Amino acid sequence: MIWSIAWRNIWRNKLRSIIVLSAIAIGLFAGVFSTGFYKGMADMRVESGIKTEVSHIQVHKPDYTLNNEINLFLTGSDEMVKKINGMPEVAGASQRIKAECFFKTAHGTRGVRIIGVEPDREKQVTDIYDFVKEGDYLDGEHRIPRILVGQTLGEKLKLKIGSRIPVDIVDLHGNFSSRLYKVGGFYRTTNTGFDERNVFVTFDALKQQLSMPDDAAHEIAVYLSDNANLEEVYKKISSDYPNLDVQTWRDVSKELALVNDSMDQYMYIFVVIILLALCFGIINTMLMVVMERTKELGMLMAVGMHRTKVFLMIILESVFLSLSGGIIGIIIGYGVIKIFEKRPIELEMFKGFEQYGYASEVYTKLPLNMAFTMAALVFVLGIISAIYPAWKAIRLDPADAIRTD
Amino acid sequence: MNILETKNLYKIYDETSVPVHAVNGIDLVIKKGEFTAIVGPSGSGKTTLLNMIGGLDKPTKGEIIVNGVKIHDLSRRKMTDFRLKNIGFVFQAYNLIPVLTARENVEFIMHLQGRSKKERDERTENLLKAVGLGDRIEARPSKLSGGQQQRVAVSRAIASKPKFVLADEPTANLDSKSTENLLDMMEKLNKEEEITFIFSTHDQRVVKKARRVITVDDGKIVSDETRKTE
Repeated sequence: MIWSIAWRNIWRNKLRSIIVLSAIAIGLFAGVFSTGFYKGMADMRVESGIKTEVSHIQVHKPDYTLNNEINLFLTGSDEMVKKINGMPEVAGASQRIKAECFFKTAHGTRGVRIIGVEPDREKQVTDIYDFVKEGDYLDGEHRIPRILVGQTLGEKLKLKIGSRIPVDIVDLHGNFSSRLYKVGGFYRTTNTGFDERNVFVTFDALKQQLSMPDDAAHEIAVYLSDNANLEEVYKKISSDYPNLDVQTWRDVSKELALVNDSMDQYMYIFVVIILLALCFGIINTMLMVVMERTKELGMLMAVGMHRTKVFLMIILESVFLSLSGGIIGIIIGYGVIKIFEKRPIELEMFKGFEQYGYASEVYTKLPLNMAFTMAALVFVLGIISAIYPAWKAIRLDPADAIRTD
Repeated sequence: MNILETKNLYKIYDETSVPVHAVNGIDLVIKKGEFTAIVGPSGSGKTTLLNMIGGLDKPTKGEIIVNGVKIHDLSRRKMTDFRLKNIGFVFQAYNLIPVLTARENVEFIMHLQGRSKKERDERTENLLKAVGLGDRIEARPSKLSGGQQQRVAVSRAIASKPKFVLADEPTANLDSKSTENLLDMMEKLNKEEEITFIFSTHDQRVVKKARRVITVDDGKIVSDETRKTE
């Protein structure tokens, strides 16, 4: 019966309850939607980071990643790629040569990372070819080797398809090596920072320029069919090549790992801040409830209702009020997130996002368990908000309370 | 049979500064089936006396014995249980729970007592019929007149089968006709079911109906008159 009284009590002052309920619903909607938005943004960042930039697993010579020294290369890399490609969990593996170089044009000089890739294998590992906006990927044989340049870098250096660029590198023997490349295409990923720092050429072209031996590479990148198999494949490769440095994307890109690991926590903190703000509104409402019903609460205690039950009744009222508003907000928020799961939110006006690797189109995403966690937080909010008012209620002296006007 | 007994009862407020003797040594015995009015001017101590015999306030000194139990010694929790099982309350402002129907208001006390649904349903219906509200069982207090609300309050007070009912100015907010109806109904319950009623009142209509009138002034009983009504 206490449950029934508590529920009905909420609707004694409909306008006030609707206002509080709406505030909670709007707050929770904002919390759920923001969470879905940033979760979607973060997940896309991680997915695109893996697919475009780092792959799931990378294999290097020990210490290579400290300074990217070109003489720390893997030997027998082609065989390794073939062996890794044979693993059932592996969608693709590709070898790469990497070096830091100078990019000289009439409009400026840039230090960039030049990456030599095997175009066919690389397509199984990264999706750079999908981001070619102008020109072609690195397919085909050419007298002057082709170079794939980020569109942003191309614009800054005023490059066009067919522009010839001398690329200066110190080769494996410490000699200065300059080679002419012709711009074959421009790519544009969702990370303009990456686009400005990385240019791609064919594996063979860069191997020649660096005077690398045959069957050698600086890096083997491995892309998996499912990230869930990451640990398993990592262990297999590590045990197959115990003398090499095998790293998962989490080790390669600390930033991606941080985004992946911390976003949920950030979002919960954000939601908790919203709930704290709502908490004060509910406390205020419940205090008003107790003050308005002093006489009634006095009567209840006078006729024999235990203070614990009075306390519980006030708590229940607050929980019902919070949950009603909260669940409405969560359902609406979840519904809106479902809509934008299929249809992206365009953030073209915020170009800066791409500078940090975040796509300008966001597909919202909210796991159902997060929605349930938020509902649980609302439940806790209801309890916490009512503790002080309920305590005030049970401190009433029934004899005095009954005679209150 | 003594239902209620007070021995040398005192209630002194502000004992440390200027003490106010709200109740000043009252000895009182109420027997089962009495229909008693406690009267007196404002500030005479009758409300304090009523609060103490209703277990809502503790005496500074003295004893209160209800049905053989010394209630002045009970802890707050035990006192709440005691009130629930032994004392019925009727208040001046009815004090019904506005979100509950007449039936639910009466049933509520029995629910607190942990009685079965069957017993609750039967007793609630019988009580509301007995007070003439058989056709208003599902009405909420806002849909009832003052007199009707006070009848529901009386039904609630006796639903718990108390040893006695304390009625604090029960007619103060009622018109003459409602007062007459309510008093007739309470008198009937008193005579037919031997329910003990103790009123605190200024209302002469209540005083007229009472078979015993205790007058309190300055915290003392100044007269105690037992009489026969027509």
